[in-house]
Amino acid sequence: MHTVLQRGNSILAYALSVLACLTFLCFASTVFLDYRTQAKMNTVKVVVKNVPDYSASREKNDLGFLTFDLQTDLTSLFNWNVKQLFLYLTAEYETPNNELNQVVLWDKIILRGENAVLDFKNMNTKYYFWDDGNGLKGNKNITLTLSWNIIPNAGLLPNIFSHGQHSFKFPMEYTTSRV
Amino acid sequence: MDFINAIPTHMDYDGQARAERLSRYIITLFGAVGLIWGYIIQQFSQTVYILGAGFALAALLTIPPWPMYRRKPLNWQPARDENGVIIKEQPSKKGKKK
Repeated sequence: MHTVLQRGNSILAYALSVLACLTFLCFASTVFLDYRTQAKMNTVKVVVKNVPDYSASREKNDLGFLTFDLQTDLTSLFNWNVKQLFLYLTAEYETPNNELNQVVLWDKIILRGENAVLDFKNMNTKYYFWDDGNGLKGNKNITLTLSWNIIPNAGLLPNIFSHGQHSFKFPMEYTTSRV
Repeated sequence: MDFINAIPTHMDYDGQARAERLSRYIITLFGAVGLIWGYIIQQFSQTVYILGAGFALAALLTIPPWPMYRRKPLNWQPARDENGVIIKEQPSKKGKKK
């Protein structure tokens, strides 16, 4: 502590240690919170086509098209340790080939301070709903779930499943016209 | 050059201890206040800014060798030669500690 540089080094190191403690306390104050909440989903229009998947094998695979409604209020999820939410809508279904298929159809980033009350009507999906075979036609149980990944200042990056899901079925026939 | 060298830059031992203690108190206090305030308004950035202000204040108060850290100088025995006779101090030579 007898030179200017030593004192500067000492208080900088101490301030950074305190900052680390504060960050840990911020993490500890939010780690046990329940980040689940209600989300209402619905599908409006559902069709399935059988078209070649040029991005993969060029074989004809099932491609689903759907539009959906989504209603949820995520305002309560934000606190001082949440910088943003990454929402994603997943379709889960079973085929003879695979016990569990999961396809992300749509996603959205909500920064803290942005409007977190969502009310979407008749939204198109953002990503293609490809099956890796012919598992979509006539599939009776496709489940849509909304999940979110919480991006914090400090701590864990949990993936949270919302309460509420929606199940629908694909038609028995392929659509051949343009959709 | 003599003028610059004449500026006292040292702290005495007691001053060093007080400077360290003061900086610890200031940074801890600002950190605690910042944590509480940040939690109240739910903005962790405010906590960090308040801690930063505490760091700046502590740096200003304890890094420069202010005169208040020089109030208890050590009382050195006068220098003696081998016969125990006190040697007269040279006024121009100011020995720097350490």
